Amino acid sequence: MTDMALAIPPPHIRRRIGLKGFLVGLSVALLLVWTAVPLFMAVMWSLVNPDDPWSPPAVLPPSFSLAQWEYVFTFSEIGKAIVTSFVLAPVVTILSFILSLPTAYAIGRLSFRGKEALRLLILLPIVLPAMVIAMFLSRTFYAFGLAQTFLGLVLGHTLLSMPYMLRILATAFEAIPQDVIDAARNLGAGRLELVRHILVPMVLPGLMAGSVFTFITSLEEFNLTFVIGTPTFQTIPTVLFDYLGYHFVRTNAAVVSIVLMVPSIALLLIAERYLKTEYLSSAFGKL
Amino acid sequence: MRTDRLTLLLLILPGAGFIFLFLAAAIAMTVLQSVGLYSLVGESKLTFEHWFSLADRTFVDSFLFSLKVGVGSAFGTLVFSYPLALFLRRRRYGTQLIGSIIKIPLFVPALVAAFLILNVLAFHGILNSTLLGLGIIDRPLRMLNDKFGWNVLIIQIWKNLPFQLLILAATLESIQTDIEDAARNLGASPWRVIRHIILPLSAPGILIAVVLVFILTFGDYAITKVAGPVYPSSLSVLMYTEAFTLQQWGSAACIGVVITFASLLFVAIYARAARAVAEIGQ
Repeated sequence: MTDMALAIPPPHIRRRIGLKGFLVGLSVALLLVWTAVPLFMAVMWSLVNPDDPWSPPAVLPPSFSLAQWEYVFTFSEIGKAIVTSFVLAPVVTILSFILSLPTAYAIGRLSFRGKEALRLLILLPIVLPAMVIAMFLSRTFYAFGLAQTFLGLVLGHTLLSMPYMLRILATAFEAIPQDVIDAARNLGAGRLELVRHILVPMVLPGLMAGSVFTFITSLEEFNLTFVIGTPTFQTIPTVLFDYLGYHFVRTNAAVVSIVLMVPSIALLLIAERYLKTEYLSSAFGKL
Repeated sequence: MRTDRLTLLLLILPGAGFIFLFLAAAIAMTVLQSVGLYSLVGESKLTFEHWFSLADRTFVDSFLFSLKVGVGSAFGTLVFSYPLALFLRRRRYGTQLIGSIIKIPLFVPALVAAFLILNVLAFHGILNSTLLGLGIIDRPLRMLNDKFGWNVLIIQIWKNLPFQLLILAATLESIQTDIEDAARNLGASPWRVIRHIILPLSAPGILIAVVLVFILTFGDYAITKVAGPVYPSSLSVLMYTEAFTLQQWGSAACIGVVITFASLLFVAIYARAARAVAEIGQ
């Protein structure tokens, strides 16, 4: 009984919590409508039964079926596109990591002139208009026989997604306190031990976050794949674009949207504990 | 720690060298083709005719449309993101949940975002159905491929809200709370604290958030192509049409140069604002 009595706040505090609680509740509800309703609608559209169409006054489809999924996987390039996307993304992530590691180390740990300019340079692929880069890189690629090749796609995707790896890794290197390194040195740690026991464990979360962002950027990349890869190579986004543009069929587009979206969201949920705010803000444009 | 120059160069080269090489190749190709050089089909000679051909109604309309979408998305997002960032600044119960829900669109690919919002805004979409059901309207509103580009704006705001929120939250976090506490102790109302302390101190962060969303939406191709009006199209869509439908790579390159240099101009503004943020943080 005493516990209960303590748990109920005096009236004036209770009223404030009430008002604040109401406001918080209202914003949660609004945000849920804002973000979740569009996602929910896509799932519904992908499950529409073609023999029992979903027409305006009904809030939900009258019956569900997987017919749309069967149709898309039977009659579109989605199967091949999924394979291409999921071969491309890991290759791009690994290449980005190999290229980024030394540069990220230099930016994070060394002091040199022109570092600010360098930071700006490695931001450019994210902020420059992707369609311009895609179209005119493709002209250069034509000259070197790289257009419509898998290698061309790998190089192009690496250009557009490596900045995330580079910037997040650099932030991770930067965050290691010099004291820790000095202390380890004073205690007689050699180079190898320093790398194994300090650098690797302290940079690993950054590497995970960087890899997730690089992987997802490659998975979602549209402009460059569209110009340099299609029609030889289709990825999930180019298939979706096709369904949204020339052959707009809402139910099919819903299926492809879910195919494209689920891996990204799943990856981010799995990797969530690595996605510290500092990494997120360094990935998205903190200089 | 000093490192000798050769080691430094070898460290920097793999990552930065790769980016520099490919970006330089793309931008150089854009600039060269805009003045008639290196045109892979037809003859190559130095000419400014492509630039003169830009001076027509279509280009001006597309430029204005892209500008409108860029500015509209940047400030339209800010209207929602700044109050949200202020609200989420103080840890209350519920803020964590709001923070997680709001982040979802950040991880939804642009094309999927376009599709999701198109569904909601469609003639027989859920928004029209709801408004009809509530008796607010008596006829479905036509919101798709409208001439103004409302749906493009709504898609961009949906997609960029968490992105701006992230930047603004990081900026607000870097403002030390003791200034604010001092003002509160001296009797300033919450509104005055926001207006005279938080707003000025977060101004560079706001500038960054606005400029980044502008850059990302100004050069957009996919969303405008899918959801935008048939005419005018965005600059990127016009560029693509010139190159692939009309085979006018020279004119396309000129449009590419315009988009690129507009973006670079705003990147420069952004870089200055970012430096100001770093100084406030210290």
